Amino acid sequence: MVQFNLALREINCKVVYFGPGLSGKTTNLEVVHQKAPDESKGTLSSIATESDRTLFFDFMPLNLGTIAGMKVKFQLYTVPGQVYYNSTRKLVLRGADGVVFVADSSPSKMEENLESLRNLEECFREQGRTLADIPHVIQFNKRDLPNAMSIDEMRAALGATGAPCFEACANAGTGVVETFKGLSMLVIQKVKAMSDARSAAPQKAATPAIPEGGDSGFKSTPTATSRPFTIQRNSMPMPDVAPQETARPVASNVPLSVVASRVAAPPRVVAQNVVPPAPATSPRQKVAVEARPDMRGTPRAFTPPVKQRTAPTPASAAPRPMDPRVISSGRKARPFPAAVIWIGAALVGAGAALVVMFALK
Amino acid sequence: MDDTTRLREHRLVFYRDDIARIDLLLKELIQLSGAHAALLVDREGHLVSKVGDLRSVDSDTIAALVAGSFAATREMARVLGEEQFSVVFHQGRRDSIQLTLAGDRTILTVLFDDSTTVGMVRIYTNEAGKKLGDLFTEIESRDDSETPDVGMASDFDENAKSRLDTLFPD
Repeated sequence: MVQFNLALREINCKVVYFGPGLSGKTTNLEVVHQKAPDESKGTLSSIATESDRTLFFDFMPLNLGTIAGMKVKFQLYTVPGQVYYNSTRKLVLRGADGVVFVADSSPSKMEENLESLRNLEECFREQGRTLADIPHVIQFNKRDLPNAMSIDEMRAALGATGAPCFEACANAGTGVVETFKGLSMLVIQKVKAMSDARSAAPQKAATPAIPEGGDSGFKSTPTATSRPFTIQRNSMPMPDVAPQETARPVASNVPLSVVASRVAAPPRVVAQNVVPPAPATSPRQKVAVEARPDMRGTPRAFTPPVKQRTAPTPASAAPRPMDPRVISSGRKARPFPAAVIWIGAALVGAGAALVVMFALK
Repeated sequence: MDDTTRLREHRLVFYRDDIARIDLLLKELIQLSGAHAALLVDREGHLVSKVGDLRSVDSDTIAALVAGSFAATREMARVLGEEQFSVVFHQGRRDSIQLTLAGDRTILTVLFDDSTTVGMVRIYTNEAGKKLGDLFTEIESRDDSETPDVGMASDFDENAKSRLDTLFPD
């Protein structure tokens, strides 16, 4: 999904090269990387097997530069084409803004092309999207094969969605850039359509201009926005802070040196510095923090006590329903059941003795 | 679901004030924990914001790899019947990286070295992650009609085409 970062006036788009194994997805990316100007491209990273088959994805960032006042960045990914890696393919495809389907022109690969295209549609269906709604193009790669299928045949087999088709020979570097440009323009048009649709939605009067950073939603809640990153004493071993520092209204103005001085502050003013506890703070976290009071000081001097090892991870920090087994083994519950057990045992013993006596008689 | 609704529901428009508040949390986090950098990455691998010393790091690549790593971890959790592994930690000889889920759509990534401890990083990251989660809840719940639109120029797509031609001349 396109990310609009208005603070940086930046748009980020995710483009995925999809297709069957060995159809040339990684080669496409390598050619784009090779042809892009140095100042616009980032590192081409590959998570591949030792035999250079894509294991997870290949990735390269491409900065298109500033377009009409907005910085536009593309993130190009490939997926592993082999059937075996279906789950990782789905992960990479999540949030894609555009897809290049790279098809192999060899007749023997047509069934794999079709299977891969079906897989692509299925992946989007699982995301609640459809391929038709997502900008995509189809590339007929390996056109230099002597037995390559004709364009008409390939279009008839794969072009049912009406997507633009491009011929390419990625190994030789031909047709790759045209494919990328074709898809990029579809993505850009889609982004613009999304922006226009958003602008067309009814807006309230006196909406502040973007460059001034005016988000009226936040300005209406100054207390929430201005609270500094103060950590509640009962939830964390927060360095002690003088009251006037805690009450400082605009956190962004707090220089880092002030924060550092909080770390070294003496513990005696703790009681005055308690900020109202955050509702999200869980009891488990309180326990974990109280068990490590020596953290209040320099980080280097910290030696975790044994109890600290039980500190919960965030996953375990969420309140859970108490286990009934824990309650039944609690100290308060123990005396009564124990007495009952002893009385019961005595009765059973007496009964057994009577039975034996009668049996002997 | 139309695109505008999807955009709103997926909380993918960040405003200047949003980023300022996120940056503030990240700055305080690295100051308190002793980490040298913190990045906020969305689950699709887009970098939302970054603070700290990242001069030698390609942050876009790190963001993509972080999202991939976290996605793989999440899938592992699902296979194992866990809801999710909300913290992932990679330890190096000198530098380490911790990934923590913040809210349900972003990953708080903290880079640190041996000048601090894992415990310090973890405890402050947990707190920052909760605060970021609260912030995202607030962003999600705000009335989108009151916020400014993306403000894209009418000739945006034409400019993009000429820019692409400049980058990749025939």
